[in-house]
Amino acid sequence: MTLLEVNNKSAEPEPGPVGSEVIGSYLNSQNRISVRKLNFWYGEHQALFDNNLDIAANKVTAIIGPSGCGKSTHIRVYNRIYKLYREQHAEGEVILDGQNILTAEEDFIELRRKIGMIFQRPTTFPMSVFENVAYGLRLHYKLSRGELRDRVEKALSRAVLWEEVKDKLNHPATALSGGQQQRLCIARAIAVEPEVLLMDEPTSAIDPVATAKIEELIESLKPNYTIVIVTHNMQQAARISDFTAFFYEGHIIEYGITRQIFTKPGKKQTENYITGRFG
Amino acid sequence: MKRRSGKSRKIADWTVRALSSLAALIGIVFLVWILYEVTIRGAKALSPDFFFKLPTPPGIPGGGVANAILGTLVIIIMAALIGVPTGILAGVYLSEFGQETRFGAYVRFANNVMMGVPSIIVGLFVYTLLVLSTGHFSAYAGAVALAIIMLPVIARTTEDMLQLVPNGLREAALAIGSPRWKATFSVIFRAAKSGLITGVLLAMARVSGETAPLLFTAMNGPYWPRSLTQPTPNLTVTIFNYAMSPYRDWQQTAWGAALVIMAAVLALNIFTRLSLREAKK
Repeated sequence: MTLLEVNNKSAEPEPGPVGSEVIGSYLNSQNRISVRKLNFWYGEHQALFDNNLDIAANKVTAIIGPSGCGKSTHIRVYNRIYKLYREQHAEGEVILDGQNILTAEEDFIELRRKIGMIFQRPTTFPMSVFENVAYGLRLHYKLSRGELRDRVEKALSRAVLWEEVKDKLNHPATALSGGQQQRLCIARAIAVEPEVLLMDEPTSAIDPVATAKIEELIESLKPNYTIVIVTHNMQQAARISDFTAFFYEGHIIEYGITRQIFTKPGKKQTENYITGRFG
Repeated sequence: MKRRSGKSRKIADWTVRALSSLAALIGIVFLVWILYEVTIRGAKALSPDFFFKLPTPPGIPGGGVANAILGTLVIIIMAALIGVPTGILAGVYLSEFGQETRFGAYVRFANNVMMGVPSIIVGLFVYTLLVLSTGHFSAYAGAVALAIIMLPVIARTTEDMLQLVPNGLREAALAIGSPRWKATFSVIFRAAKSGLITGVLLAMARVSGETAPLLFTAMNGPYWPRSLTQPTPNLTVTIFNYAMSPYRDWQQTAWGAALVIMAAVLALNIFTRLSLREAKK
């Protein structure tokens, strides 16, 4: 079967995503984001083809697949960060809170408060540790000094960073280690109370010990946030995610409960990838 | 086929090396020579009077160029007040908002042309625009002329410096919900800070030595500058007038003024480099 056939087949019975009924019946979880027929272009080059995907609320959804298969491209549609680049273009539906964010009023500011993003490399701002977290808070809320301090402390504690930085809140953020900087970015994102956290290979630039800390952190955030994590590391996907979507050349080949994807993948292609036969 | 001999290759190599070294040496020689002459000759003119007194008629000792020093400072500060914000905002447009637009490309091209416009033409332009129409030379006409010279330089360096900031930082700022303008001024500017300051200081250093635009706009005068709408004495035009005069003591004063300007510009350049090095640490 060619890729195209796989994709068409999956779309045949219902326009719904692969395996969505399965997930619904197993865990009875609600969807926070529903993606339908999402296509994406870099200029003339099409990078995503008819992606259908449901992101379960308050779960971790992992997106796996070989380099260049569209994993990052896919989640970069959710917060419309791709709009920074004129030549990039998306079509289809990404439904959040009953609204298609691709056609909704262009209030990216509120959208991006609701959907936070963590990048591959820690993207601390060139300012102090405190100001990094306060930056987003000041954007979205009117807070007194005291409230601001409390909220910053709360966010840093949630990101399990408070104990390490409480004495250097006024130090430049760049003075922290890579792993601490990444947790600072997570603190900055969760400070503004998002519903969804998009993580684009958040541990790929970080050493194993710091990676373990971030994975623990993701685990602890799960009850309050819907998390979508793109990862190259299949062990990581298996460890921390509830659902896994396998991408290949811009198509979603398979989507389901993580345990199933890793033990009994439904598609040959998925099996080849997770057993390391390519990728 | 005949092979080239190793000898001819060596000669070619030696010749190119020798010529390029010589050319580099000539550049340095003239710089050192100018610095030397101006320092030796100018130092004789320097005295407390030089910095604190008004000029005297030829032959009467004890005069200074205090009015021109003040005038130059006033004109450059005013020029910076006009040129720096405009230049920086133009650079922001080119880098952040009009980067890939057609209009942005036109502005960038026009800006590069502006950088090459001879300063005397800018002087004549402002003369027609502000001096003829108002009927008098003035400090603000001088400031506008210098600002026009600063603007493209600052716009260009601002664009270049902002473009050096990785897009990852822009994405991060936007991803937290920052509007583009705020991301630019609060995050991207901080990341590019030292480069932006360098651009501004170098542009100021460049215009501090300009004479032609001031000749047609601020002109000169023997008294304290009283008002921004009056002809305003300044160092470069003073050098021009005094150096061309037949009087020994005025020529001497011109050397002194040249030394002051040169030292100030040199100091500004060195300060810029040092602060840049400090920022890199």
